[in-house]
Amino acid sequence: MALVYGILFLGALVGIYIFLYIQNKKTPVPKGCENLKADCEGCKITSCSLRDKKLKEEK
Amino acid sequence: MFGELVGLLFTSMIVNNVVLAQFLGMCPFMGVSRKRSSAVGMGMAVVFVIVAAALVTYGLHYLVLVPLGLDYMDLITFILVIASLVQLTEMFIKKTSPGLYKSLGVYLPLITTNCVVLNVCLVNITNGYDFPHMLMYSIGTPLGFALVLVIFSTIRERLDLSDVPEFFKGNPIALVCAAIMAMAFSAFSGVI
Repeated sequence: MALVYGILFLGALVGIYIFLYIQNKKTPVPKGCENLKADCEGCKITSCSLRDKKLKEEK
Repeated sequence: MFGELVGLLFTSMIVNNVVLAQFLGMCPFMGVSRKRSSAVGMGMAVVFVIVAAALVTYGLHYLVLVPLGLDYMDLITFILVIASLVQLTEMFIKKTSPGLYKSLGVYLPLITTNCVVLNVCLVNITNGYDFPHMLMYSIGTPLGFALVLVIFSTIRERLDLSDVPEFFKGNPIALVCAAIMAMAFSAFSGVI
């Protein structure tokens, strides 16, 4: 029974995350904050979404 | 009891500083410390998310996971809670406070991958802290992170104006400064 509770609990958490992610994407960015940029040139993590955004802008 | 709580706050903030003594959160420490304004924004965002994440995960562990016999699922639960909390916080700030979003917004997604957040949530459980101790540890650790980040950003701003040898410019001299800072902070270990 504990295994079923575990799967249900994990499913609920994943569901909550997906719901919040979609709602966050739908929420409009406040005026004047459309082109915010992080000053993170020193960071070398290649998988970061901010880095992808920067590379696209540079292209 | 009060002295013990103050001691824990001081220890988690200064003596066992999460960056300089435990070497966690090195990515934002090196990546977002070039300007003081960015460091202050990141520090504030980390303090907010860690305190909120610690409260939620502590409650979930003792009120849901332990009674259901699912405490072995701590790690995956905490990761999902932190990721959800960051989304919720970003959405809430977008709707309620454009000014705050302007200063914190761009750093919030980065916090999802900050290992300091997960570390605080896990240490609260593994060390068996009661609620007041958990609260002090969860406030002291991110405050220590923010303090070191801001101090380091001011050092790097000064370094940009200094005459540094060519091969030491950028990250190498920053790492040397971080090492000296770590040695300086280790001197606090005799205080408590």
